[in-house]
Amino acid sequence: MRSLLTLWSLAFFAFIYAPLAVIVAYSFNANPVNMMIWDGFTLDWYRGLFGAAVERPASDALYIENTDQLLAALRTSLTVAFFTTTIATVLGTSLAIALGRGRFVGQKALGGFLLLPMMMPDIVLGIGLLIFFLTLGMQLSLLTIIIGHCTFLISYVFVIVQARLAGLDPALEEASADLGASPFVTLRKVLIPQLAPGILGGALLAFVISMDDLVITYFIAGTDNTTLPVFIFGMIRRGVKPEINAIATLIILSSVVIAGLGLWLRARKTPA
Amino acid sequence: MSLLSVRGARRVFQTPEGGRLAALDGVDLQVGAEEFVTLLGPSGCGKTTLLRAISGFEALDEGTIHLQGADLLRLAPYRRPVNTVFQSYALFGHMSVARNVGYALEVRGMGRAARQARVDEALEKVGLSGLGARAIGQLSGGQRQRVALARAIVAEPRLLLLDEPLSALDRNLRQQMQLELKALQARLGIAFVFVTHDQEEALTMSDRVVVMRKGRIEQIGPPREIYRKPRTRFVAEFIGETNLFDLDAQGRTPEGLIFAVPNPPAARFTACLRPSDFHLAEQGIAGVVTKVVYLGADLHLYVQPKVGGPELRVTARDHAAAPVVGAEVHLGHDPEALHLLEA
Repeated sequence: MRSLLTLWSLAFFAFIYAPLAVIVAYSFNANPVNMMIWDGFTLDWYRGLFGAAVERPASDALYIENTDQLLAALRTSLTVAFFTTTIATVLGTSLAIALGRGRFVGQKALGGFLLLPMMMPDIVLGIGLLIFFLTLGMQLSLLTIIIGHCTFLISYVFVIVQARLAGLDPALEEASADLGASPFVTLRKVLIPQLAPGILGGALLAFVISMDDLVITYFIAGTDNTTLPVFIFGMIRRGVKPEINAIATLIILSSVVIAGLGLWLRARKTPA
Repeated sequence: MSLLSVRGARRVFQTPEGGRLAALDGVDLQVGAEEFVTLLGPSGCGKTTLLRAISGFEALDEGTIHLQGADLLRLAPYRRPVNTVFQSYALFGHMSVARNVGYALEVRGMGRAARQARVDEALEKVGLSGLGARAIGQLSGGQRQRVALARAIVAEPRLLLLDEPLSALDRNLRQQMQLELKALQARLGIAFVFVTHDQEEALTMSDRVVVMRKGRIEQIGPPREIYRKPRTRFVAEFIGETNLFDLDAQGRTPEGLIFAVPNPPAARFTACLRPSDFHLAEQGIAGVVTKVVYLGADLHLYVQPKVGGPELRVTARDHAAAPVVGAEVHLGHDPEALHLLEA
């Protein structure tokens, strides 16, 4: 029974991680045409990403010559993720505090409405946002991507901070008031520090989802602003190229770093 | 003039079923400047609501609360010059012990250096000298309790509110803290209003005990008076163990036990006798021991009177010849000890 369970766990993790392992392995495969065939170890695809000249076979005409395009897409993604994360974190946290601690009519209904964007299929949200922007006569731009991402990432931050808030002893805020702190001082000195792990977790999640989003961004990005996922999607349509494995590997690596950072910060600041 | 004065306090809650529940139903209470007053009662009696009305976390529907003549109800909780020790301690986990204790001074804008001395002093008063740099997570339950106490007294309030602060401690530590709290209160010279449902705790520490039931005050008095001379059946039963007798004008129970009552107050009334007021005698109430509970120095006997009726509870010294289950005994009592209840 025991060994069966062990086997099951191993199979489970293999199932989840095998595709990732394959991508990482292929990113070092020297065979440029058929990545299923191992042709020796190379770092060429990584070098290529960073602009080094790499010798490649003539048959590979559709090669992405332009590394600048890739880096531009990465820059767009990082810019969008930065602003989106900042805005969504501030608004999502404020909403969680307002709904969790304030008292007003329609509080419960509002909380429900905030969950809706998370449940909504991306494609519906994408079309809805596109029509909305067009109706307003807005040019599709970096701004529309940021607004679009915020509409659903606020919900993610809200949910995470709300969970943290729900687990918080309300007596903490009462104790702060009891000791003479005004509501604003209590917010600054007690509530936000106590919520910090949740706020940070929400922000990291928002950042990762924003970096990763394809479907919604595809609708609202316009032609001048291509994010990394949209760019990669475009590359794949022209055939899977070995650079994609290298890009994917780098993305996996940065995700692991970000997630690890989040876990570490969380473990370090666990309040009693 | 008393330090704290509560008059006509009423607070009605809406129950989930749509009913109305009076958590406070006309409460009057005066607390003196250096008095240790305990609010005692079963859960739902309104004691915590009263405490929270004083600290400001609960509003009143009617009534007034004055502290040194100033109307507390006009002040937001954070402007009220009272401090609270919370049941859950409510310590700030993201701050050190010293910063927790100095919080009240910090939010008043006192400088770090000036705070330090006051924090050290408060920590010393609760017996935690030198632990200021610790994190809250590193403390034991008893130490957290003391930090909560130090944090609440650092701003030198005239009135300290304590909401069942000892309920999470084990029995030995609780008894030790009871004595320390009483000593601390005397040393600080301030008033304590202490909420508990533990009658032993109330009797041990208080100058006066306020017994509450269903939003009303049932009786106020010094511990001895509450124990020896309960006013109502509820107080008699809630405080310690007791034997209650429904008597007629001749001092007879329905089963025929007879007690000497010189001045019966009514045709029917209730009297109480504490288990320790009975003693084993040559004659008196005849009965059979049905149960013996060993309490260390004392035994607790349950005696079924031969005439019938409820079992009597009797305290007896434990010794070699003490009665065993099935023994026939006679119970005598001091006629003076029989206390007549008003209601």
